[in-house]
Amino acid sequence: MKSNDVLGLIFSNSCETTLTELTAHRTTASVPIGGKYRMIDFVLSNLANSNVNNVGIVAKSGFMSLMDHIGSGSAWDLSKKRSGVTILPPYAGVSFSNKIETLYQLRGYFEDADENYVLLTESNVISNVDFSELFYLHSVNDADITLLYKHMAVPEKSIPIVIKHNNVGKIEKVLIQPNIKGKENIYLGTLIMKKELFLNLINKAISENELNFNRLIQKWAAEYNVFAYECPSTCTVISSMNEYYKFNMRLMNGELRKELFKTDRPILTKVRDDAPCKYGLTSSVKNSLVSQGCFIEGEVENCVISKGVHIAKGAKVSNCIIMQDTEIGEDCNLNYLIIDKDVEIAPGKAMAGADSYPIHIEKKSVIN
Amino acid sequence: MIPKQKVVAMVLAGGQGSRLGVLTKKLAKPAVPFGGKYRIIDFPLSNCVNSGIEAVGILTQYQPLVLNEYIGNGQPWDLDGMHSGANCLSPYEALGRADWYSGTANAIYQNISYIDRYNPDYVLILSGDHIYKMDYNEMLEFHKENDASCTIASIDVPKEEASRFGILNTNEDGSIYEFDEKPKHPKSTNASMGIYIFSWDKLRKYLIDDANDPDSSNDFGKNVLPAMLNAGEKMFAYQFEGYWKDVGTIDSLWEANMDLLDPNVALDLNNIYSRNPMMPPHYIADGVSIQNSLIADGCNVNGDLEFSILFAGVTIGKGATINSSIIMPGAVIEDGAKVEFAIVAENSIIGKNAVVGANPSDVENRDDWGVTVIGDNIKIGDNVVVPPKAMIDKDMEV
Repeated sequence: MKSNDVLGLIFSNSCETTLTELTAHRTTASVPIGGKYRMIDFVLSNLANSNVNNVGIVAKSGFMSLMDHIGSGSAWDLSKKRSGVTILPPYAGVSFSNKIETLYQLRGYFEDADENYVLLTESNVISNVDFSELFYLHSVNDADITLLYKHMAVPEKSIPIVIKHNNVGKIEKVLIQPNIKGKENIYLGTLIMKKELFLNLINKAISENELNFNRLIQKWAAEYNVFAYECPSTCTVISSMNEYYKFNMRLMNGELRKELFKTDRPILTKVRDDAPCKYGLTSSVKNSLVSQGCFIEGEVENCVISKGVHIAKGAKVSNCIIMQDTEIGEDCNLNYLIIDKDVEIAPGKAMAGADSYPIHIEKKSVIN
Repeated sequence: MIPKQKVVAMVLAGGQGSRLGVLTKKLAKPAVPFGGKYRIIDFPLSNCVNSGIEAVGILTQYQPLVLNEYIGNGQPWDLDGMHSGANCLSPYEALGRADWYSGTANAIYQNISYIDRYNPDYVLILSGDHIYKMDYNEMLEFHKENDASCTIASIDVPKEEASRFGILNTNEDGSIYEFDEKPKHPKSTNASMGIYIFSWDKLRKYLIDDANDPDSSNDFGKNVLPAMLNAGEKMFAYQFEGYWKDVGTIDSLWEANMDLLDPNVALDLNNIYSRNPMMPPHYIADGVSIQNSLIADGCNVNGDLEFSILFAGVTIGKGATINSSIIMPGAVIEDGAKVEFAIVAENSIIGKNAVVGANPSDVENRDDWGVTVIGDNIKIGDNVVVPPKAMIDKDMEV
């Protein structure tokens, strides 16, 4: 199987209910993460780096920021004659509220595609994985379906699907939300199968009124030749505000950054023409990730700072995630906050969350 | 047929820039990295697109590979239009001739047909090695108001430096009556910035005349401009106010970079476009001091920085100190190394506890001091001391 015989499909609203405020006005896919990225950059770059040339992104609601971010797809080299990104919003009164119904409504998109395989993925899995290995094993195993999983702890607030497979990787059992202690083989929401089979299975599910996707996977595992493939890369599922915060903080670890941001398989994103970050004479920065276009004059410790942020003189910012173009006034004292885009905090303000409960400050808030 | 362009810009980017030594060993001067994430040519290209000029020919000759690759289809500067955009123009073979560009005027002469395709009214000639921000439209309006054949941008330079420049001696209305190339006793302080607007029909004629003159060295400053003045063409000096620097020498390149760190210098980097590095944000470790510096994406900073510029993907080891230096993309400064008043070019490695360059205040005789330059892909071994003013193009070991 050639990689470019695979059509990629990304769901942009993965775990949106448990990401609460972060997804109030945007899709999970377009949640800013890691300073200069959006959540979807990881899976989209993985697809592009694995030579998947055509990718559809299912957009359910609040997808303006997603459309703005994806643009023509050129940032991922997906805007050529023989490649492309297509945003798939609801149409003609369809709500896209159920995954199986959504896939059924999109059958025209799949039928029109030249590719013979489909790869379904979620937008909230942070990894750097070469899918060609998955494609290869899928054909070698002569599998009907191959599921991607990771041996890991259950992502917070998620409904875990646990995979039990034999020593050659054939799935013997799929359990939905079993009682788990410690690590298990957690399904990552990525699966591949032949397009023809996929369309038949979705059609069948609709006709049998089987509208629970997790149930469906369980059923497929029992009836078909379904294999499991463990994600070889480091892998984080962003399923809650807390997981989101912890992942950003974990990026301070150089080994993790090396594993995620590989030079031969770069994580690509839409880039703004920001100047390099400027540090003033009064700045003091410790253990932080800082993006281009920032101007740092104050004290920063354990922070992930996105592009275009200004931290004024005398401000003390610790353990915060700061999204783009936020302005932090002189002598502010901020701790354990997730500060969304375009926020203005007037001089002298003091605000704090807690390590176990970082507080989110809404996009475009003015705090004075 | 290609739609008409009112103005076509031609950027002279073929020079070697020999005074930049090892920095231009494998690339043309306009491709030299600048300001933490740019290359010098980003400035004229961004100025063009910010002035609404959509057709830009880039004349390349010396080591064009890096420059050609960098310009690509012109997309980072919005110069990838359907019928216009950025084009790299190298010398080529034609029926009956195959010549290198023998001078600045000859480079334009050989590309008359490129310019003619756009049927322009005006041609803007730019250098690929100047750092400045300018709205060429204002200069064009000035050119039109004066009904000039040629307008030359000029900048007021300090009297003591005037003899290093081409000086424009003008009448009260700004019309030029004399060119004075590097005069010993300058009559004025109006220095030519090497930025010219010509009415295309005029320039076209003088370029052909110049090409037919076997004694000409085919240079704008030496031949074409004096010929136009002698023939009585209307030539005006357009006074530019703002930051401008020719970065043709190591000292001026270093100074222009340092100017970016000076809050009193009026040069901001807004709307300067470039190809952007695809790297994560930079990381600053615990216990590190960073003062008045610029840092691009992808850097890993574990040592102290002062008045310095780090390009994308630079690594600074633990206990290393960098002062008043420019560290170009991908370079690695290992643990304990000390880099002062230096330029370290792309992908070079400075070994552990090595010392590169020196602070002028630590040097007894000021004549012995200068900015130290390490060429690209060089390995300076552990504990090696590289003196001030040195220019290194080979690996060094103790």
